[in-house]
Amino acid sequence: MTVKIGRREFVKKSAKIGFSTAVGSSFIYQLVDGSIHASAGEKIDIAVVSGNDYFKNTIRAVELLGGIKKFVQKKSKVAILANVQSRNPGAFTKPILLRAAISMCKKAGAGEINCLSLLPRKNWEGAGLAQVIEEEGANLKLIDRDNETLFTTIPIPKGKALKEARIMKEFFNNDVFINMPITKDHAGNKFTGTMKNLMGLNSRKSNRSFHKEGWRTNRSSIEFLDQCIADLNSVIKPTLCIVDATEFITTGGPFGPGNIIKPQKVVVGVDRVAIDAYCTTLWGMKPEDIIMINKGYEHKLGEIDLKKKKIKEVIV
Amino acid sequence: MAGENISISMIKKLILGILLFIPGLFLFLHSSEGLLSPDKDLRLYLPGEAETGGWKGDGLPQIYVGEDLFTYINGGAEIYHEYGFKQVIVQDFLNKNKKSISLEIFEMSNPESAYGMYTFKTNPGGEELALGDEAQLADYYMNFWKGKFIITLTGFDEDEGTIKGLQKIARAVEAKIKISGKKPPLVSFLPKKDLLTQSIKYFKGNLGLYNSYPFFARDVFGIDKGIKGDYREVYSFYIIKYKNDNECQKRFDEAKVGFEGSPRYRDFMFDKEELIQVRDGKGKLIFISRFKRYILIVRGILSQVQARKIFASFALRSDI
Repeated sequence: MTVKIGRREFVKKSAKIGFSTAVGSSFIYQLVDGSIHASAGEKIDIAVVSGNDYFKNTIRAVELLGGIKKFVQKKSKVAILANVQSRNPGAFTKPILLRAAISMCKKAGAGEINCLSLLPRKNWEGAGLAQVIEEEGANLKLIDRDNETLFTTIPIPKGKALKEARIMKEFFNNDVFINMPITKDHAGNKFTGTMKNLMGLNSRKSNRSFHKEGWRTNRSSIEFLDQCIADLNSVIKPTLCIVDATEFITTGGPFGPGNIIKPQKVVVGVDRVAIDAYCTTLWGMKPEDIIMINKGYEHKLGEIDLKKKKIKEVIV
Repeated sequence: MAGENISISMIKKLILGILLFIPGLFLFLHSSEGLLSPDKDLRLYLPGEAETGGWKGDGLPQIYVGEDLFTYINGGAEIYHEYGFKQVIVQDFLNKNKKSISLEIFEMSNPESAYGMYTFKTNPGGEELALGDEAQLADYYMNFWKGKFIITLTGFDEDEGTIKGLQKIARAVEAKIKISGKKPPLVSFLPKKDLLTQSIKYFKGNLGLYNSYPFFARDVFGIDKGIKGDYREVYSFYIIKYKNDNECQKRFDEAKVGFEGSPRYRDFMFDKEELIQVRDGKGKLIFISRFKRYILIVRGILSQVQARKIFASFALRSDI
């Protein structure tokens, strides 16, 4: 079940937790129970579609969850957060997946599709993503990550390490949030996926605070970093996650280059903890190995035990 | 008149001084520590078109110094800083077929840092090349280190032309780096028999260690210098060096508490010979011992007897 809360209700709820900062005009705060009823009687938590046509994989995976219209309403404004950290192979969300996502949103009748980013245009061009956005008629909205006036403070009432986030104001001008990371290695905490991708909405100054001692990670602070990521995820909840697990780096992350494996999978769902837990298994890790996933589970953001989730795997 | 003579005399001295100063300045600037030496201006290491076999520079080179590395590689910068990062220059190249190669020349604090970063960035399975102090070619990229530099070249496909281009550009850069480096002495502490040389990882901090094997998220070992090697895929051998015996003992005691209390490990045992034994989540045994100022760890498929033998062999070294 997906519950949509408009700005008025969000502010009312937020007032109870001391939130008074004005945010965008139509912020939609999603509350989900992590499961989707695709069709009568069938409950799917995560759809995984494999095959060498990544466009088809993406479309099919969303269909398995009941189709894009379950997530994107007519005339809604959709924010998409892809990963464009570098143009090195296996280090960014592939353009073909973004094309599929935009194309589905258009078919659902989205009023506006906005790809948001804190990274410069050259990253989008180098990765081939800018071209897709242009061809598909979506918008690329680049936010200067160092201009604090473009961000707004969001309190994190359940935050254990992070008490407030600084989210780009532009994000709140949207009704729907599609999180589109690539899962890959990360030298900081060994894994990146749906939860870590949300740092892409947060100001650089705030992201720096995830790393103790200013910008640099305190050598003993991997746990602190992962707690901050889980805390951030406790206030920003994607409507849908579409994860690129087609070809990605398992070493040299997050920037690359590094060894690439090619599971050719697109992983779609809402439960970020479960999705990330699933993705760890694609390269021989266990969900419990990743502190961030454990922290997300402790925050009740989702389920770490994959046996408790309905995972539908399909080959196209 | 007298004043005029003094002025002329002073001007002559000044000119003479300048003439003598210029060659000195020239020598200074071209010395390894000079302001315009390659160490200070990494552009001097970039190859020209004549040296790259048709690969032309695409755009201006970008230089990131110190903390600016985070602007370039964001969260990936931490590991470079752990090893000791000074600056990097990035230059893209294009050939006539519009194929692209990215060249990154990282200047690290010293050869130990460059070697450590090289081991972090390379993995088993690559093709070793005779280039610099050590080089490895992987599917679409290559790394080499020489002196205090680690160089990464990335092609964006695996075409033969691109791979040849990587090597051509790499050799041109390598020729410009005149000073080689030596591997840290700790490398020689790994027994050579059955060692998989491409598996070696040299550590300068917990982040590197954590990426090799996540013993603890916290910096329990307080690692400043360490090394790991794999042996015929049966076990991994870690050696962590401390400044003195006392610090080593302190860290060993902390590790004992950590292993005993962590839910990641089970079957904790500790005997009177100060050998810690645990089993990790993957069922592999881990043995931890201490000798003088070294913590020794083996992890893998082996018995306690085998582990003790490895530790005993280490203790027989005369150069510890």
